[in-house]
Amino acid sequence: MTTRTGVIRPLRSNAPLRPLIVFGNPGDKRTGGIQQARQRLGQPPALIVPYAGLLEGRTLEELLAAQQRELPWAAAGTAPPLLRLDSPGGSFETEQALIALGSSEAGDVDDGLHPFGARPDPRPLGLAAAGRLKPQPGVLHHPSQWFRGYCRMLARLQREAADMFPQALWINDPAEIAAMTDKRRAQQILAGSGVPIPRPLEGGHGPADYASLREAMSMQRMHRIFIKLACGSAASGVIAYQINPTTGAEIAITTVGVEDYITRPPLYYNSGKLRRYTDTASISGIIDWLCRHGAYAEQWIPKTGPDGRSFDVRQLVVNGEACHAVARVSRTPITNLHLRSKRMSLAEAGLGEETRSRIRRTAEAALAAFPLSAIAGIDVLVSKNSQQPYVADVNPFGDLLYEVDYRGYGTYEWEMKVLAGPLKDGSP
Amino acid sequence: MTEVKLSIGYDEFEAGQRIGSEIEKLSSSPESAALSSLIIGDWGQAYENSAEEVVAALVKHSTSFPALRKLFIGEMDYEECEISWITQSDLSPLLAAYPELQSLTIQGGNDLSLSELKHDKLEELIIITGGLGKSVLAEIAAGELPNLRKLELYLGVDNYGFDGSLQDILPLTEPGKFPKLTYLGLKNSEIEDEIAAAVADAPILDQLDTLDLSLGTLSDKGAEALLASERIKKLKALNLSHHYMSAEMVARLQSSGLPVDVSDKQETDDDEDWRYPSITE
Repeated sequence: MTTRTGVIRPLRSNAPLRPLIVFGNPGDKRTGGIQQARQRLGQPPALIVPYAGLLEGRTLEELLAAQQRELPWAAAGTAPPLLRLDSPGGSFETEQALIALGSSEAGDVDDGLHPFGARPDPRPLGLAAAGRLKPQPGVLHHPSQWFRGYCRMLARLQREAADMFPQALWINDPAEIAAMTDKRRAQQILAGSGVPIPRPLEGGHGPADYASLREAMSMQRMHRIFIKLACGSAASGVIAYQINPTTGAEIAITTVGVEDYITRPPLYYNSGKLRRYTDTASISGIIDWLCRHGAYAEQWIPKTGPDGRSFDVRQLVVNGEACHAVARVSRTPITNLHLRSKRMSLAEAGLGEETRSRIRRTAEAALAAFPLSAIAGIDVLVSKNSQQPYVADVNPFGDLLYEVDYRGYGTYEWEMKVLAGPLKDGSP
Repeated sequence: MTEVKLSIGYDEFEAGQRIGSEIEKLSSSPESAALSSLIIGDWGQAYENSAEEVVAALVKHSTSFPALRKLFIGEMDYEECEISWITQSDLSPLLAAYPELQSLTIQGGNDLSLSELKHDKLEELIIITGGLGKSVLAEIAAGELPNLRKLELYLGVDNYGFDGSLQDILPLTEPGKFPKLTYLGLKNSEIEDEIAAAVADAPILDQLDTLDLSLGTLSDKGAEALLASERIKKLKALNLSHHYMSAEMVARLQSSGLPVDVSDKQETDDDEDWRYPSITE
């Protein structure tokens, strides 16, 4: 597996350490975790390039120069840097700036990394409208335009970094981060590599609307499905949806809440309370909204779990090797709603070594499907009936896991150690 | 004790597997003779297909399971089928076919019937539903179960099939109806307060060890009635867990000397509508 990913060729232990540049939000848990880990390992701190600065229009070069008078890689004999993209989440200003960048009014943009870039976004927001957005907890302001802006930013970073450091290595390639983030594309790639995934609803790669989705479900006798916002993270925009073919009844269990208004379109938000809708008006409204922003629909595979609960596993894979893992155990079908799930070790969740080993191998195969990426958190579910693992999600930023260690290291420590360490095969 | 669970997942069902042939396979296996407990899980998209096939196969092969004492029809969870969508059928032929049966657990109330509820040895009858129909309550009340020790009914809500009222429940509590009954569970009900008030001082309590009013909407109103009763003091266990009683009432019950379980207090929903940011990882 290690050689198949191939992207990070860790240098020999006696070689100079590559400097690390991280694109992220300075001082948040992620960039902070990386710096702490490097300190503990005796590595020099990473340079953190803030998304906020990039989105204000400053170049990578300016932002790096502002941080350090003398760039370490300017010195002779220094290895070219490693580049790491971290989550752009957690900041309203960044979200707003990305929505603006996704606008059709944003100049000089490149949609080349957007897996479905030609598909128009609904009710596009102009620059001025994006600027007027207000921070409202949980509100999904414009997920598809956000994703378009995000892909444009990735394309820009890829270009600037290539100009500045032709020899630099991305820990995760920007194009692959875009592909992982778009579930339609990610699941295609996984299936193409033979990784087990929940069977997509045919036509599930972007269902047009509620009516066509229901028709597809009936035609294919797939009465229980998950519908996901194609570019949402975690449990954002996820519905466990089922129709009763006998009675015509329907149930949607979801985190999506709706605020209805008379004079303007409804506002959709992530609710911390899991909602259960049984009325067609609410359900069709939410599903239509998801479909407009790009949705992905797949078979709902009954998940195994202890005492009538169910879980999925977040399995981190670093440079081809499965390492940290947590089971997220819930009394609801939406197990990745982090605030409502109990975290357990895989052993506590009742998984035997054979199943754990299959989960690790499946997760490693999932990351291997993205040959230019070295780190991802893979969401794996285990079928209640067959005990077969399936990959539900590939999270390029899925390494923020607390209180879980692997060989005595936290997630960031392990990553920093592996990326700096000698080759696994021990070659000189 | 040997126990087997049979279930047909979605994919297996789509691939043509059927519960009837699985039961037949089990009946001709060497373990069938000693099998004492059989759990039937999802029989294949139970929201669309009824339990009729299960009943027919178990009746047909009853002589292959001479040691069977415990039967569970419909053990499945929300990952497989909504409880309120499970399609049952008339399960009473199972009782005639298994005269040595001691325990029957049923999950799911749609199309459920126990038309000939007669059994000399059955000790436990447990019915888990999101809503139990009054027709089934009437069938149980008319049943002849002289050896029944434990009757546990998840009554549910009208949205999911509970179409009865207290008047449909009370006949079950007539003394002498089930002479050996020691455990009565009238639980998971949206009229739990009414039930509590009605059974608090009912003569049936004299024969019970356990009264189970858990998992419902019990509030201070029902609890007051229980506290006011003399008969309730003879119980060995009073299960009120998962309730909506006030903290004061919980404290009163705890200091009452009653062997009461008041765990799992439910909160009203008001403070639960918090929201979380979309991009957290």
